[in-house]
Order: sequence, then structure tokens, then C-alpha cells
Amino acid sequence: MKRSLYIFLLSCSMVACTDELDQVNPNVLTEETFWKTENDVLSALAATYKTLRVQENGYWAVRGVELTNGRGDDFFIRNDVKDLYQLSTFTNNPTTGTPSNLYATAYMGIFRANQVIENTPNADIPDEAKANFIAEAKFLRALNYFHLAINFGDVPLITSVPQVREDYFVKQLPQAEIWALVESDLQDAKAVLPVSYSAEWVGRATQGAAIGYLGKAYVYQEKWAEAENEFKLLAQPDGRPQAPYNYDLLENYEQNFMKEYDNNKESLFEIQNQNVGGSQPWAGENANESQGVTTAQEFAPTEVGGWFEAFPTNKMFNEFQEEKTVDGDFDPRMYASIVWDYPEATFYKKPYSEFEEVFGFKSRIRKYQNWRDENEGIWISEINEKALRYADILLMYAEALTMQGRTTEAYPLVNRIRNRANLADLPTGYSQEQMMAEIRHQRMVEFFREGLRFYDLKRWGLLEEEIANSDKEGREFFNLARHEYFPIPQNELNTNPEIEQNPNW
Amino acid sequence: MQQILLKELRYLLVIPLFLLSIAGAWAQGITVQGKVTDENGTALPGVTVLLKGGSTAAPTDANGAYSITVPNGNGTLVFSYIGFQSQEVPINNLSTIDVQMGADAEALEEVVVVGYGTQRRQDVTGAISSIKADDIVTQGANTVEKSLQGRVAGVQVESAGGNPGSGVRILVRGTGSLNNNNPLYIVDGVQVDNINNLAPTDIASMDILKDASAAAIYGSRAANGVVLITTKSGRKGENVIDFNAYYGIQNITKKLDLLNASEWAQVSNAAYNAAGLEPLDIAQNPQSLGKGTDWQDEIYRTAPMQNYNLAASGGGDAYTYSLSGGYLSQDGIVKNTGYDRWNLRLKSDFTKGRVRIGESVILSKETFDPLTGGLGGQGGNPVGSAIKMIPVFDVYNPDAIGGYGGAYGPVVDIANPVAQLNLRDVENNVNKAIINAFAEVSILDGLKYKFNVGYTNTSEYYYEYTRPYQIGALFTNLDADLYESRNQTNYFLQEHTLSYDKMFGKHNIQALVGYTYQNTQYRILEGRKSGMPDGISVIDAGTSNTASGSRAWENALISYLGRLIYSYDDRYVLTAIVRRDGSSRFGNNYQYGNFPSLAFAWNASSEEFFEPLESVFSMLKIRASYGELGNQEIEDYGFVPSISPNLNYVIGTEQTLWPGAIQTAFATPNIKWESSKTLDFGADLGFFNNKLFLTADYFIRRNTDILLQVPIPLSTGASSNNPYINAGQITNRGFEAALSYNNTVNDFTYGITGTFSSVNNEVDNLGTGSQQMFGGQPTHHGASATVTQAGYPVGAFYLIKTNGIFNSQEEINAHSYEGQLIQPNAKPGDIRFVDYNNDGQIDQNDRQFLGSPTPKFTYGFGGSLEWKGFDMNLFFQGTYGNKIYNGLRQDMESMNLNTNYSTATLNAWTPENHTDFPRAVINDPNLNSQTSDRFLENGSYLRFKTLQFGYTLPKSLLDAAKINSCRVYLSFDNLFTITNYKGYNPDLGRTGSVLDRGVDFGHAAYPLARTSMVGVQLSF
Repeated sequence: MKRSLYIFLLSCSMVACTDELDQVNPNVLTEETFWKTENDVLSALAATYKTLRVQENGYWAVRGVELTNGRGDDFFIRNDVKDLYQLSTFTNNPTTGTPSNLYATAYMGIFRANQVIENTPNADIPDEAKANFIAEAKFLRALNYFHLAINFGDVPLITSVPQVREDYFVKQLPQAEIWALVESDLQDAKAVLPVSYSAEWVGRATQGAAIGYLGKAYVYQEKWAEAENEFKLLAQPDGRPQAPYNYDLLENYEQNFMKEYDNNKESLFEIQNQNVGGSQPWAGENANESQGVTTAQEFAPTEVGGWFEAFPTNKMFNEFQEEKTVDGDFDPRMYASIVWDYPEATFYKKPYSEFEEVFGFKSRIRKYQNWRDENEGIWISEINEKALRYADILLMYAEALTMQGRTTEAYPLVNRIRNRANLADLPTGYSQEQMMAEIRHQRMVEFFREGLRFYDLKRWGLLEEEIANSDKEGREFFNLARHEYFPIPQNELNTNPEIEQNPNW
Repeated sequence: MQQILLKELRYLLVIPLFLLSIAGAWAQGITVQGKVTDENGTALPGVTVLLKGGSTAAPTDANGAYSITVPNGNGTLVFSYIGFQSQEVPINNLSTIDVQMGADAEALEEVVVVGYGTQRRQDVTGAISSIKADDIVTQGANTVEKSLQGRVAGVQVESAGGNPGSGVRILVRGTGSLNNNNPLYIVDGVQVDNINNLAPTDIASMDILKDASAAAIYGSRAANGVVLITTKSGRKGENVIDFNAYYGIQNITKKLDLLNASEWAQVSNAAYNAAGLEPLDIAQNPQSLGKGTDWQDEIYRTAPMQNYNLAASGGGDAYTYSLSGGYLSQDGIVKNTGYDRWNLRLKSDFTKGRVRIGESVILSKETFDPLTGGLGGQGGNPVGSAIKMIPVFDVYNPDAIGGYGGAYGPVVDIANPVAQLNLRDVENNVNKAIINAFAEVSILDGLKYKFNVGYTNTSEYYYEYTRPYQIGALFTNLDADLYESRNQTNYFLQEHTLSYDKMFGKHNIQALVGYTYQNTQYRILEGRKSGMPDGISVIDAGTSNTASGSRAWENALISYLGRLIYSYDDRYVLTAIVRRDGSSRFGNNYQYGNFPSLAFAWNASSEEFFEPLESVFSMLKIRASYGELGNQEIEDYGFVPSISPNLNYVIGTEQTLWPGAIQTAFATPNIKWESSKTLDFGADLGFFNNKLFLTADYFIRRNTDILLQVPIPLSTGASSNNPYINAGQITNRGFEAALSYNNTVNDFTYGITGTFSSVNNEVDNLGTGSQQMFGGQPTHHGASATVTQAGYPVGAFYLIKTNGIFNSQEEINAHSYEGQLIQPNAKPGDIRFVDYNNDGQIDQNDRQFLGSPTPKFTYGFGGSLEWKGFDMNLFFQGTYGNKIYNGLRQDMESMNLNTNYSTATLNAWTPENHTDFPRAVINDPNLNSQTSDRFLENGSYLRFKTLQFGYTLPKSLLDAAKINSCRVYLSFDNLFTITNYKGYNPDLGRTGSVLDRGVDFGHAAYPLARTSMVGVQLSF
């Protein structure tokens, strides 16, 4: 028995090191080993940018584009993906998935940005680089809060990484406080970010982007004077480029939406899309994920293998024809943005007349489509989404001036936009209201499918009127108080005892 | 019965004792001979005759005769034979000792495997149910688990998808936890993930340890019960060859009633008209469309299955062996699906002096051709797509790449299910080896040391090849795709146990101490490419879309265990168990958990005062137990926040990959063991020599510190992967009973069995208190259907309630709150929803509790009959009182999406025809289609599960062919199901989260098959 016991104990000791219980995850780094080097922080920043176009639900990924455009009087989404159809016909509710996912993704970006802001100071890198990284993260955080404010109104404000479980549950704050953070983050970013990057880092947030978004944030709050102050850093009073940023309009409007002209001089900030990395467009965030987007495939016609999810409304089609060019042709922005049955119209290398008319819409989306190819190929589009264009800066600058009663000063800015579109200079003597009407028209035509129309109408207090006078499906269900903002998603209400539903939901 | 046998035994023993005492002592080295017979005087060959305490042994020959040489006349001979009660007969200098052995049904039935050893049924203090070989084999079920359904009280068996070769979901005593509810499976001492790969004919017994006391010896992993499988062993002196074969065919039991092409067009046009929209092009001229394609008919078929098993077993004085091999081939009722399995198993043991060595090796090779997951789109897999695909579209299109037709135009993107089945080849090959070897040394009388090594290896090879295709207008894939992966799981077990088993007068002690170490390692390697030329399907031939990857994990468990069973005079039994487990799944200070249990049983029928009752009341045992068990079934490394790689972006003018990485989820460093405490009271009652037998248990099982990924707010930015916390408490209270009656009258032998289980499940508290966890997404888009929160059952239905149809505008106007319409978008023919929170609008705040997915009770009952070689078995099984949310019906009856619809939509409300089915309107402004109790159904069912007729050929016929026995049978499974449930199958087959349990998600289910088969069982 003694011998057996001895064997017993011996065998135990052979294997029984409790070290065996201390397993280390072989697949990933941990918090303890990360946040040390410049590379660590850079990869954390990549992960933060990434949320802006993370598959499906990023603000500039396919669902984001569908959501930001879907509610406009210029846009129709067909009854295929129920969530999108619901939100575009104003029959959505708090469980509708797309807004909920957009909300979650914005906070994902905020969580990542907060990590960079908190952990970078402890990394082993030069102070100047640290400041830059933090400024970049603040820019991204501001951008996500910007999106939350315009889509959801009052939301939780989270500016640090939760330490304990109690920190997960945060109350919502009035929209004004969200804007206050957007402003202060962008001001911080503006103070530190570089004017430009070396070729290998092009695509990251610049000082110009921070200024542009800060101005835009003021516009959304109707702080016209503050907005003007920012815009005049970016553009001369006549709309010409301003040093050191030197942004300018491309001569050819259409080039903004072609992949050959990614990261051009008109772009203050854009979302980088390219078929690199993995090969799967829907892989989620992992190594197999392609870094392109599927939006173009979703909008392409069925004849070329697309899913024809969205169309310009006939109201939009007509708006494009409001004014002909000095040569009597259609506005070049009409040709670049949509395709319709005009003589010699081609689309995906076919005469447009070969495409069947569906839903009674006279035109289809051309902007951001790879329509010079035969089809949308492997469904992965590489065209960068332009998040903030100089054209937007010029028109917001003009609006800020007009709204301060300085209509005359708005002329050269609006005329720059008009001239590029081969339209004549505006006649002189416009009243404030006339100038605003012109700006509204220009914005509608200039930014079709760029996700601005619904939010512009909301700023102008014209949502109800413009949706009612459109041919938008579901306009009879539009209720301003309710549909101005999305409801707080049901999944947030379900999990966060601190939060309350938006009052009109 | 026990009592009677003992009396007979005493009688047998007394005579030789008396005679021997007169005879004088003989010289050393005497020979004892004799004959061993059973109670009927039939000779018993192969009985082991052993000199007690010595190494001399001899078997009986074909005539039951034996001859053994012993050193002297003072020893004791031990006669043992499986299936009979072993006897000890003192030699007392006799030269001839004839023995009549009492057939001991209990020797087979009543040894219960309890983990790290066996126990006599009468010593059992916990709640243990057993199933024996015969019950499993007669059913012809192709997997072992399926033969459990309805047969064991307290064990709920639900199908897990129905894919050929797929397993079942087993719930022992309800839903205790919220993370993992799978029981622990132990096959011949080795832990395995599932038991689908075992051939049912290889099983000798299944013992299900249900209460905490019974399962406590398995400590941490046993909170959901333990299923102990013992495979067949050889019998000493009995060399047998068994051959089993069956052939069967399977058919779908139920198809759904869907619209044909022309009916669909009518309904679709009505829905568009109601919304004021132009009808769909493809729906024009309904009359001209005819019936169109019946997509269900296109994918289902009559499918054959066949099975063969060959086994050899036997043994000698010092060894036993059992060797078996088998082959099963099963086609699925969905075309291009199937399963086949090869099995090889060897089990043997060998005794030499103090040492016994043995092993069990189970090898299996399985090939799954599962239902493909689908080619994308909103129809999901082929089963879901066949329901939703509009019948207007064609199956084939010879001009299209790949050859299949499909949907076009503004309809929901559903891929042709026939194309899905044919364009993608999926095969999963699983090779498993379950190996266990032990060496046992008898150190002293009653004291044994056992060293046990277990090893299982699971190697999977997955292959998925997709041909180029263009299916209609919505699905295009111009390059062939190939994905392959290999993964391996290695599990290693080392056990040292020291056991002591000794009788001191009326005191019996069984003690056990042990140490075990387990380690599991997993690794996967995968790769994919596209663009292989036609006919070539290797990754090397691909040209684009290259991707590869590998991942790994490892965990370890260290345990110390001790058990003491003390019984006095077969009347009182006490069992005490303690186990200490250390798990790598918890942080440094939380790795260890202690799990004690205590149980007591009183065999009242062994008391003297019971003797007068014995003619009627043959057994009465009362049991009580309390124990604590642990649960650690969460992901590895869950307590450490990790940095997720590959959160990539693009950067630079060259637009190159910018690799990203950051923390994406929170972790809770101080999570600890979930614990499960069970109090159990039970009784075993036997009447009329145990012809009538009843076992009943009542239990309260309370899980505390439940390990749960409680959803955290979206605003944390980390809500896609919630951290585990010790989140709450769930109590299950249950009653379960099993009743059997067996009798023989003249040539008739018959039996009746029944089981009944009822579990009441309630969440006591969860997370922050008012925490609600939502689950059970019913459709591609719909809101969740279930909630889990304090005061209600796990996964309870939580839905907006409907209250009929508005038949007029007046009724809509009447449904108002403070002068405002509650449903402003409603029109006559729409559904009236209940404004439960009385706030003047219908939204998710109007949800209310409307039932539970857990049945009020489940039951099974069956009968068997034997008459002169003929036999018949039948078995029924069912549930009562559970609800099912029919997500499929939500899609098929909503008429708000361009898919096919159910025939019920033909009866939709119109101004002329007021029905209780809402109007057709494609934009559904009133949200008639939203998740509500409109789609909640009664899930009760009664299923005629098995009917079998057999005939055993008379021995006279077989002797010439040297065949021992031969039985042929005809068997039917799933003959019919009585239910009000409108989906395919009320036994849903939804795997995954327990919060989704009662929700029938249209994509998931593989319909149930009815099986008819003919088989033969031969023994040589």
C-alpha cells in the first residue's frame, strides 16, 4: 500500500503543476502586452477609422449609405430588405435593425477612439507623435458623435473607457452637450493635426478635415458666425483655394466619384475603399474581409447582376432638369449622378434603353457606380466615399453668410459651384430667401446620394413640406415629430436601465 | 425477488455444508467436479469456477460440467456467470459439488455505473436512470441519443436540426443554466463532446446521473447531469458472433401548404392594389401562370438507409473481449444530403494475479453531407428557400451559367433551392478515436489502485466547393470557390484512483479517492481560393480570393475527488462525495471550486417488519440527497481582455492594407464557477415481485452565479461580444416518475412502460435585477420573441398581443386613447393590437408574457408483447403545455414581402369577406407582420414514435445451421404526430442559445422523416 501511495503521489506530482491552469490565449495579444509601441497605436487607429466603413453598418458602408439617403425625398428603397424599406417609408420602429446597427457602430468607433485617447499617453513614443495620435482619435470620436446627434438627438456621452461594470450604463444627455463635445474634440484636433501626410499615410484625418467638420457642426447648430470663421480658413471669400490647405473644386464634377480620382484636391476627408486584405465582402472584421464595399452592387440594375435596391425619385429626376447649362444641355451633375433614357445613354456598356423601367422611376443611380464596366464584377467596389468635399464647404460657407444677412458675399461661393456645372452666374440682387432657395437647390443637385439631403431638410425645417410634395413611397406615414430622429434602438433600451426613449417614440 | 433468491441460496448452501462437516480432511491436491445448471436444470456452459483467494480457475464445458484441482478441501469455490447471481460454496472436502445458479436479473440490470466504478442498484442513493442494450437496439435508431427520447424520466430529448447524422439536444431536468445545458457524456470512462458517432448496437448500458449527489463525482462538469455510456464487454466462456442488419426508407412526414403560381399572383396583386401600387410584372395574368413550380416537391425525396453490424465477443478465465464493426449509410430526405459512418470497437480486459489491465478503443469515421447553409439571400438554406421561393420561377435554365433558373425582378432575394443543393458540394469528414486504458492493482483485500489514461482525438476535414453560377438575376458567382479546413481536437485524461471496498459484518464500506488531470487542445487550419478551372477542385488551381487562417485554444482541468459509501445491513446507505476542481477558464484567484454532496437511502423492504408485506409490496426504497455541482462551460480565456487583430483599414495613395488591432470586448477578471445546488427526494417501489415498478423523484435545483454573457448597452461600443459575468439565479423544480409493468401469462410475455417529467423553471434574479435578456429572433427581420428575466421562465414568450381584426373604420376610431388613434395607420382588415401599457401607441413596450417554451410536462409510454417467438414493440412520446413561436409562418402569412405565401392567405380579409385573417397589403402600414402573438402556437404534441414487429425463428430450425438465434423485424419510426402546431415539426430542432429554444426559425429546420425498415438480428 505504501508503494502504491508513493506511486500515486509521484504521478500526481508529475502532472499536477497548477501552472497548467494558467493558459494564455495563443491567438491574440492582451491589454498587458499592447499599447507599447508606435505601431500598436497606429494599428489601434486603423481599427478606429475602420468603424466608419465596417461591413454593412459603418456610416459609409452599404447600410450606412442606404440609411443616410433612404429617408430623403430624393431617394427610393425597394421592398426587399425589410429594415431599409421600413425606415425609408417611415414605418420603422425601435426594433428596426439598420438604425440600431448604425448606433452600435458609432459607439464602437467611440469606444476605440477612447482607448487610443487613454492609452497613448502611456506608450513608449515621442510626445509629438502622441499628441498627433490623440488628436486623430478625437477627430474620429467627434465624427461619430456628429452622426449620433443628427440621427438620434439626445444620446449617452461617453468619453472614457469603462473601468467597472457600472460604467457600462450611461444616461443620455441633451443634444447640445453632444455638440459641445463634438466642438471641443474638433478644436483639439484642429490645433494639432497636420495639414497633410506623406503619400503612404494619405487618408488620415488632417487639420483641414477637422476645420471643415467643425464648421459643419456649427452649421448644424445654426451658429453661423462661428461656422463662417472656420470656413474662411479653408476658402478665400471668392471661393478660391486658401493656403496652406489649398483645397479646390475638381474641374470635372464626375471625377469625384471615380476610383481613379481617390484622395483628390476637392476631398477634405474620405473613406478609403480598396479590394485588399481578404476576399470576402461580408466577412465581418477579420482577415478574410475585403476592404471594399458592396454598395455599388446593391444599387446596380438586375440586368447586370445588381440588386437594384435604390432609385432616385422622379422628384429628384425633375430637380436635376430645373436649370440647363449655358450650352443648353443638362447639368453635368445630372449625367454624373443618374442615368436616364437620353440619346446615346449607356450604362454598364449597354444602351440604357435595354434596361427595363421598374417601379415607374425614370432614372437610376450612376454616382459611385462602376458603370463604365460591364457589371459590378466581384461586388467589391473600390471607389472611396467622399465624406466631406470642398463643394460642401463652399455651399455651407455661402449659407453661413446668407443666414447672417450677407447675401452678396455668398455670390462668388455659389457661383463657383454653378460655374463648374457649366451654369451661368447668378443674377444679382437676390434676397436672403432667394439665395437660400438657390443654395437649397444646389445642395440637392450637388450632393444626391451623398447622405446629406434628409439632414439638410431637417436643418431648414422643410422635411414635412418636401416629403409631402414628393413622389416618395411612404410619404403618407411621415410624421415630423416622430421621424425627425430615429428612436433609441430597442436593444439599447433593453440593456441600459439609464436610458429613455426619444419623447416622440 | 432479492429476498427469495437469498432464501434459495441459503437452502442450497446448507446441505453441502452439513455433509462436508462430517467428512474428514483429505490429502492435499484434491479434484472437485460437478455440474452447474440454471433454475430449470439446463446446463450452463462457460461458468467460471474459481478458488477464492487463489489463482486456480476453470470454466464449465458445454454440458455445464467442470473439474478443478484445489490444494485442499478447506477452500471456497466461487461460481460466477454473467446474468446469474454468483455463489460461494465451501468445498468442505467434497469431491462433487453440483450447483444450481439463480438467474439474477439484477446482476445485469441492477449494477449501476456511477462514475469511477459501479454500484448495486440497492445501494444507490441518488437519482439515476438506466437504459439497457435491448431498449436501444430494438428501435433501430441510427444514433444512440435518439433512443433516449421519452424513455427516461427527467431527460428531455429534442432533435438538433434533423440533418442526417445530426444529434439531439438533451436536457436533464430542464434548463438550469443559460450558457450551456448539455450533459456531460462519458464513454467507457472518457469524456466526449457527443455520442452521435457510436453505433447503438455497441452500447451495453446508459446510466443517466440526474441529481447532484449522483453526479457529484464529476464535479464541475456535471451540473447538467451525466450520461455514462458503457460499451459491451465479452462474457467469460461465451464466444458469440452477432450480426445485425437493417434496410429502411425515409419520407418527409409533412409538407407545408403553399400557394401555387396562379394563387400567388392573385394574392400579390391584391396586396399591391391595397397599397395603391402597381402590381408586379411577374404577377400579371394570374390565370396564365398555372401551378408553377412546387419547390417543396423539388427538394424532397424518398431516401434509403441501411446498417450492418458484426460483433464478436467472449472470454476465458482471465480475459474478456468484445470486437465489433459496423457501417451505416443514410440518405437524407432532402436531396443531396446524407450521412455515413464506419465503426470499429475493441474492448478487452485481462487479469493476472493482482493486476487487471484493460482497454476500450472506439474508432469511427463519419461523412456528413449536410444541408448547405445556402448561397446567401433571405431564403437561407434550401429548406427555407423552398418555402419562400415564388412558384412562378423555373427550376432550370439551360442558358444560365450553372444551368439553374431563379428569381428576377423586384422580389426578395431568395436563391433557387435546387440550385443551392446542386451547385455547392459540402462534405464534412469526422474521424474520432476514443481510447481508454487502465491498469488496476489489488493491493490488499478490498483495496485497489487504478491508473486510467484516456485519449480522444477528433479530426475533421471540411470541404466546400461552389460551382460558378448565375441563378436568375439576383445571384451570380462567376468563379468556382473552394474552402477547405482541417481541425483537430486532442483530449488527454489521466486518473489515479484508490478504492477500498470491504464488508465488516453488516457494515459495508466503499471508499474512493482520486486525482484527475484533463487537458484539451484544439487547432484549425483553413484556406480558400476562387477561380479553379472547371472540373478541378484543389486550392492550388485557384487564381483569386486567396485566404487562409489558423486558430487554437487549450484548456485544463485538475480535480481531487473523494467518495464514501457506507451501508448497513442493506438497509441504510449513506453516500458522501467531495470534489475539488481547478479550471483554466478562470483567473488566478478563482480557478478552484469545491463541490460536496451527501445522500441517504433507506431500503425499507429489507427491514424485518416488511416481510409480511412481501407478497404484494416487494420493494420500497426511500432516497434523499443534496449536492453542489459546478459549471465552467464558457469560452476559454474569457476573463482576459484581448486585442482583436485584423480590424483593418486602407491607407496611402497606393491604397494598401492598414492592419488594425484594438480591444473590442470587455472581460470580467473576477468571474468564478457557476454552481448548481440540488435537493432530491426519491422513492423506488416494487410490487408483485417487482413486476410493477415505480421510481419517482422530486427535486429542487438551484443554479447560482450563472455564467452569462449579459447583453450590455450598444452605447458601450462593445455590445457584439458581451463579457461573461456571474449573473443570476435560476430554480428548477420538478417531478419525474417512471413506471413499468412486466408479466408473463402462459405464452404471453408483455410489458408496459411509461415516463413522466414535469419541470417548472423560473429565473429568480438576473444581472442588475430588472435585467431583461431578449432572444428568439423569429425571422430575418423580426423583433425578438422571448425574454428572460426574474420571475419568469427562461426564454419566456414576450409579445405584443393581438385582438382580432378591425372590420370597419368605426372600429379603428374606437380604438383610441385620449382622442388619438392608437393605430393611426390602420385600415379595415388590419390587426387590432393591445395597448398593454396604455400609452396610446403600439410599440415594444406593449409586450407581455404569453407562455413558456418549456412543456408543463413531457411523457413517453410504450408496450411490448411476446408470444411464441413473435414480438411487438410500440412507443409514444410527447410534450404538453409548451408554446412555439412560428417564425416561418410570420414570413409566410405576412404578405408584406415578395416571397411565396401560405394557402391561409387565400382567406385574407376583404371588404366583402370579413375573416379573421388580416388583409393583404404589401407595404403593411399597420405592421400586421410584426412579431406578435399572432404567430404564437400551442406546441403540445403526441408522436407515435416507434412500432416494431419481430419474429424469432424457432431454435429447432436454427440448430442445423449452427445459429444460436435469429430474429427478423419490421419497424416504423415517426408514424404520426398529433399536434395543432402548423410548422413542419413541433420538435423544433433549433440549436444554439437556449433563449431561442421555442422559436421556429424558418431557415434552421430540417423536416422530420418517417422511416420504415426491415432488419435481421443473428447470433452464432
